[in-house]
Formats: sequence, C-alpha cells, structure tokens
Amino acid sequence: MTKARNTGNEYLFELALFLATSARNCIDEPPLYGPFRLLDAISRLAALPEHAEGLDEDPFLKEVKAFVDEKKFLVTTDVEGFTRAADELVERFAKELKRRSAENRSNE
Amino acid sequence: MDVFEAIEGRRSVRKFKLKTVEREFTEKLLTAACWAPSGGNIQPWKFIVVEDRTTLEMVRKISPGYFGQTPLAILVCSDKMRAHRVGGTMGRDYLSIADCAMATENIVLAACALGLGTCIVKSFSHAAMKEILEIPEGVEPELLVVVGYTDASPAPPRRIPLKENTYLNKFGQSFQPAGA
Repeated sequence: MTKARNTGNEYLFELALFLATSARNCIDEPPLYGPFRLLDAISRLAALPEHAEGLDEDPFLKEVKAFVDEKKFLVTTDVEGFTRAADELVERFAKELKRRSAENRSNE
Repeated sequence: MDVFEAIEGRRSVRKFKLKTVEREFTEKLLTAACWAPSGGNIQPWKFIVVEDRTTLEMVRKISPGYFGQTPLAILVCSDKMRAHRVGGTMGRDYLSIADCAMATENIVLAACALGLGTCIVKSFSHAAMKEILEIPEGVEPELLVVVGYTDASPAPPRRIPLKENTYLNKFGQSFQPAGA
C-alpha cells in the first residue's frame, strides 16, 4: 500500500519535473515544441492511474493517450498532420465533455 | 556496413529493447567520436558515459526529449576553456559546438554500423544536467546521445531534394543531379 502511494508520488514528481524542464526549454526551442510538450504531458498525465492509488482508469483518457502517442512525433516530419491531430484531439475532448455534461445533468 | 548505408539507414529511435550495450561497443562509439574532424585540431569534446541505472533515470527525467528507456547515454560536452585556449574566440564560440556535433554524428553512424539505435537529444535541462553529472564550470553539455538496441524504427522522414537546396557555382544557379 505504501509502495503504491510512493510510486504515485514519484510519478507525480516526475511529471512536475517534466513540466518544469519543458517550460524552461520552450523559451529557446522551436515554437512547435511547446504544443508537442503539452501533448506529451497529456499522454503522461493520462498514465497517472497506472501509478497512483485511488484513481480509476479512464477509458477516454486511455484512448487519448494512445492517439497522442501515435501522432505526437509528426511534429518533426509532418507539421500539417501534427496540426490536424491536435485539432482532432480537441474535437474528441469537446465531444467527451458534452457526453459527460449530459450524463451529469441526467444524474442530478 | 557501407558508410552510405549507415548514413541513409540511421533513424532517431525512440523505442528500445531492454538489452545491455556491450562495453566493447561503447568504446568503439567513443573512438569513432574522437576521430571526428576538429577545427584547429582543438578536440574540445568531453564525453560522459552514463550507464548507471539510477543516474540514467535522473538524466531521462530532466530531458523532455529523451523517449524510451535505454541502457546507455553518452553526453557530449564542449570544453570551452580548452577551445578558447587553443582556438581563440572562434574556437570557444563556434568550433567547439561544430566539433561536438561532428563527434556526435560519428557516434550515431558507428552505432548504426554496430546494429545499435540512437537518438540525439538537445531537449534536456542544461542546468539540471550540470548538477546531476557534476559538470564543472567551463564545460558545457551540448548533445545527449541515447543508445540501445532498436525495438521500433521510424519510417524515414522526407528530405529536401538536392535540386531545392543545392546550387552550382553560385547561389541560386540550378544544380541538376544526374538522376533528375
């Protein structure tokens, strides 16, 4: 039990460290690396339930992680494809937001 | 492996197998690096071979551009003091970086010839790298090469064709490759 909590804490620390180093590097790096790091952060964030106790696996975020991991490296080879993927990701989130909102309303 | 096969076959690998890189291979990579061209023969490079698992994990965590897990990473650093002493301002500000880049290219081509995958990473925290690897003042981390056995190799990216970036005799005058 303690071990799982430590693992979650370690993962959280690693995630925060990733964001800190990314923030600093984004000052000097190619502009598109900013969105790239944010997408990568989503992927890492979506993996949090694997490491932290008390968080349920979220099927939507699991799908998002797979999608992001498949598309994120387009940033170096196909900027248009990368942009389309970012657009599609936001659309997926918007649809999921609507679905969750409707579900919440019906549960009220 | 023919040098052209290595040049065209090298990829930036981001998924590696969990297999140790033989020390003999690591030494070959470093020897190849040391044979890189060097302006004024300054040889400004310093290499830090990272194979200790805990240290490697710390390096990975402070490097947003380090993907996958590898058994080995080589940090190519420039010794700015030496570069300045031997090569003056140009040595310190330009040649030291160019030389380290050429040494890095030798590492990744040699790795390719040895059947290893690599990825050159510049997206690491400079300050954190200096802290973790205890790099002294006057020595700067330039490029990190992560090394391992390739698990998945990406498709070749598009390259700008010669006719779009190469000129004949003067800038702007078309260079027509024989095969075009």
